[in-house]
Amino acid sequence: MTVVLRIMLAVGMAFGVLMPVGGAVAADAGRLNIVFVNPGKTGEVYWDMVAQTMQAAGRKLNAHVEVLTSERNYRTMQELGLGVVARADKPDFLILSNEESAAVPILEAAEAAGVKTVLLSNTLIGDDAARLGPPRQKLKTWLGDITTDLQTAGARMANALIATARAEKWQSPDGKIHILGVGGDEITPSSIARNAGLQLAVAAAPDVVVDRMLFANWTQSEAEQVTMNYLSWATRKGIRPAGVWAGNDPMALGAIKAISTAGLVPGQDIQVVGLNWSEDALRAIRAGRLLLTDGGHFLLGGWSIVLLRDYADGCDFAATSPHVEVKTSAITSTNLVSVGDLIKNRAFDRIDFTRFKAKVGRCGQYDFSIDALISSLAPLEGAAE
Amino acid sequence: MRNADDMTDPKRNTQAAPSRSVVRAMIGATVPVLLVVQLLASAGVEASSFWSQIRQLDARIARTAESRAELIAEPLWKMRYDQVTSVLNEIMHDETIAAAAVYDDTGVAIARVVARPADQAVSEVSRPIGYSNGNIAVQAGRIAIAYSYATVYADTGSRLMLLLVVGLLATLATVVAMRISANIFIGKPLAAIMSAIQRSKQDGRAYPADIKSSNEFGQLARAFNAMQLTTSGALDRLGHMAAHDPLTGLPNRRSLSEHLVTLSRDAGSPDSLIAFCFIDLDDFKGINDTFGHDAGDKFLVHISERLRDAVEPQDWVARLGGDEFVVIRPEVSNEATAQAFARQLLDAISEPIRLHDKQVVPRASIGLAVRRAGDPELSHLPALADIALYHAKSKAPGTVAVLDEALQRDYRRRRDLELAIPAGFAEGQFEVWYQSQVDLESQAVVGLEALIRWRHPELGLIGPGEFLPLIERSGNNARLTRYVLTDACRALQRLASAGRPHIRIAINLPPSELADHSLAAELRATCARFDVAASLLELEITEGSLINNIASASETLHRLRRLGATIALDDFGTGYSSLAHLRRFPLDKVKIDKAFISEIPASAEDKAIVGVIASLAGTLGLTLVAEGIERAEQAEAMREMGVTLGQGYFYQRPQPLDAVLQWLEKQAAPESHVLADSPSLAPEFAA
Repeated sequence: MTVVLRIMLAVGMAFGVLMPVGGAVAADAGRLNIVFVNPGKTGEVYWDMVAQTMQAAGRKLNAHVEVLTSERNYRTMQELGLGVVARADKPDFLILSNEESAAVPILEAAEAAGVKTVLLSNTLIGDDAARLGPPRQKLKTWLGDITTDLQTAGARMANALIATARAEKWQSPDGKIHILGVGGDEITPSSIARNAGLQLAVAAAPDVVVDRMLFANWTQSEAEQVTMNYLSWATRKGIRPAGVWAGNDPMALGAIKAISTAGLVPGQDIQVVGLNWSEDALRAIRAGRLLLTDGGHFLLGGWSIVLLRDYADGCDFAATSPHVEVKTSAITSTNLVSVGDLIKNRAFDRIDFTRFKAKVGRCGQYDFSIDALISSLAPLEGAAE
Repeated sequence: MRNADDMTDPKRNTQAAPSRSVVRAMIGATVPVLLVVQLLASAGVEASSFWSQIRQLDARIARTAESRAELIAEPLWKMRYDQVTSVLNEIMHDETIAAAAVYDDTGVAIARVVARPADQAVSEVSRPIGYSNGNIAVQAGRIAIAYSYATVYADTGSRLMLLLVVGLLATLATVVAMRISANIFIGKPLAAIMSAIQRSKQDGRAYPADIKSSNEFGQLARAFNAMQLTTSGALDRLGHMAAHDPLTGLPNRRSLSEHLVTLSRDAGSPDSLIAFCFIDLDDFKGINDTFGHDAGDKFLVHISERLRDAVEPQDWVARLGGDEFVVIRPEVSNEATAQAFARQLLDAISEPIRLHDKQVVPRASIGLAVRRAGDPELSHLPALADIALYHAKSKAPGTVAVLDEALQRDYRRRRDLELAIPAGFAEGQFEVWYQSQVDLESQAVVGLEALIRWRHPELGLIGPGEFLPLIERSGNNARLTRYVLTDACRALQRLASAGRPHIRIAINLPPSELADHSLAAELRATCARFDVAASLLELEITEGSLINNIASASETLHRLRRLGATIALDDFGTGYSSLAHLRRFPLDKVKIDKAFISEIPASAEDKAIVGVIASLAGTLGLTLVAEGIERAEQAEAMREMGVTLGQGYFYQRPQPLDAVLQWLEKQAAPESHVLADSPSLAPEFAA
């Protein structure tokens, strides 16, 4: 009995070690072993949903997705990643997120161990990007990255605010539309991109002023606090605040709370926009207090499995670009109904990820739009009721 | 001089220990200045420090405001008012800050913290808060900080106190250091010099001050020691001079007593015999007179050299002064060897000496005393030897006289008598007796010689031969002469009243009285007092008194003669018997010494001498008196040789005046030559 097990183990190890880099291609339609080192905390909505869509996609695309959670500790994240790289039974792919540039050592270790990696959401930036160059050059096993276009999201959110304000004629005595920006932080690429979107939109609108770009550490309470401060300041300055641009949904909800506290009615006196497609945001949209929530980027988890499935099946996304940038979409009161349940119940198994695989000859060309998503969704059980 | 006095005064010494007073003066002069300078300096430093602290505080608070403004700018601009407050709160750790506030661009206080109620002087600084990022640069607001100088005041106060305490401690330390160093560098050297001076004063030797340092005190000490050395040499020379005779270099009288102490101390045994020779040169005065004082000195040096040569190394030779020498032999076997030694010295002295190409044979007398070294009265040795010497000089000049019991007895008697002289005068123990002078032709009494006797209450009647030298030595010659003169004048009065107004009285004048110019005046006054004629007085002198003082004697004699008194030359023939004297002095009489009379008529030579004298006197108009006539044939012989007057037991022994008067009464009767039954005194002294 043990002898048989040992032989099997030895054969397995030899197979794993000796298998060449391109060997995966040969294992056509074989089951993939994918490990995702989640930088977030358990219960952190966005990263939970990323992992869940990853696993839902895995189920559709014959891939086993193992999720290791770092609990927002980058040291833990590195230990987890390095541990995976050092495993005897190495996974086919390792998905990392380069938050705080903490994934770089893992990336290098994976290169040494011959483990293929994909960066999700946060890719290499700054010195690391310059030093290591584009994917598959210095780091052969770094296949590429999949990120969301948050700058466009930021601009889309701002433009929605501006359009509403113009329509409602919420100009201040100086004739300008005054907006408050509430950013998550000033350093992370995802925050910088969103903020840059706001600036871009405002720059294109000469009648709009961002009174302040305030930062609330992605949290509702801090956003509420700074929004209250802003509103109070604006009152003293004789400004009529027209909108609050919030970098994510919690901050948008904090702003809504502050607005209510200040005696204004969100959605009527002032508009607020958020990002994340969070459940609470969707509720706020439904209640008319939030103009929109942009997002859907948690679907990056699922999309990354689609890419790796295609790659493993011989349709390399790098044929188009190793950098896959996914556009987000806004949920407003108009499309709220279609995606509300998906988000509310996290019913990601309703998504038919196989429909998103690249068409033959068009490797690397994907349609991850909200319309594509909506049309991919399996009918809601009991929807007829 | 005053300083020296001060130093000898012990009370002042302790009061004014020089180091202490110098140190006190130094401290008194420097410490207040030091203290004032220190206090002023620290106050000045502290004042400037205070202002600098105030400025520093202002600057610090301004910097704080600026740095806080920088820190606050972003949270203020980004409306993180809680962060603004916490940043503001941080500065409240600075306890000088009383309150702080941040205002936004609308002037509303965003954050305000108050640490403590500002009761002290409060200053305020306000700084704008500028915010800028890549796109904008705005004034986001203003920060204001109110702060207090209280800590600076408190710090300054406590530092002032500290400086005061430190200053006082430093002053105290300085005082202590000054005291210690002054004691080391000033007190000790001064004390060393003082101690050297004190010791030098105590035993008269020059002690050096023991100071090794090379500073001014070291130089002073070296100068002092050099002076001490000089003084020491001078003192040594002085000491040597004090103890030695400068002429001969021999130890002097002063050394003698010291040497006697040394002798008794260093003697081998208390029974060893010490021979003490007291040497006196005979007739040294003659040598001085004859050859001059330089020669006399040379003579003394010769003698000292001879004595030195004559003695053994253990012997000790000294010159006591004048012509007196002492030779001590510290150990002799017996008195005989001592005597032999003394004679040996005499022999050595007696070698002829050439003075001015003349041979002089020195002569000396030695008084020898031998005593045991353990004799407690060893210090009396000089006096004892002197007794022997006295004897030698008076009885046998040029010999050695050994001190024995008889000599000591004589000495004691002489001493007792000498001591009794004042009492003798006071109690009238001196009596004047009279002996008659008889005209050899007419057998009539023509004069009386006044002769002094001492009726001592214990020793009985004492002859003049014994006590007159004592009278002379004790300086009582004049008193005795006046005593006799007074008695003689009283006697003349009684003679007159007894019907014998023509009897004259002769008084013996000692040599010293001839030099007394007041004698003539006193004689006249005394004669006047008793209402007797001075011409009834005769004054007898000896040749010796003439020789010693020719001019003065001649003067006195002339004065006496002018008063009417006559002058008789006593004891002629025994002394110089100078014929020149007979011519030079105003003499009326010559008294032939009894030595020429006693052998007459048996001795033809004496008869010849008397005869020559008589014929000489006759030629010079001098009256001759023969003394000591004891027998009738002597009187007859004198008369035949032309001697005018006679005196002696043959006629009358010396008697008190009453007896003489009675005797004269009987003489008035025809039967003559009745010998007075007066007590006999032998030998007859005719001083």
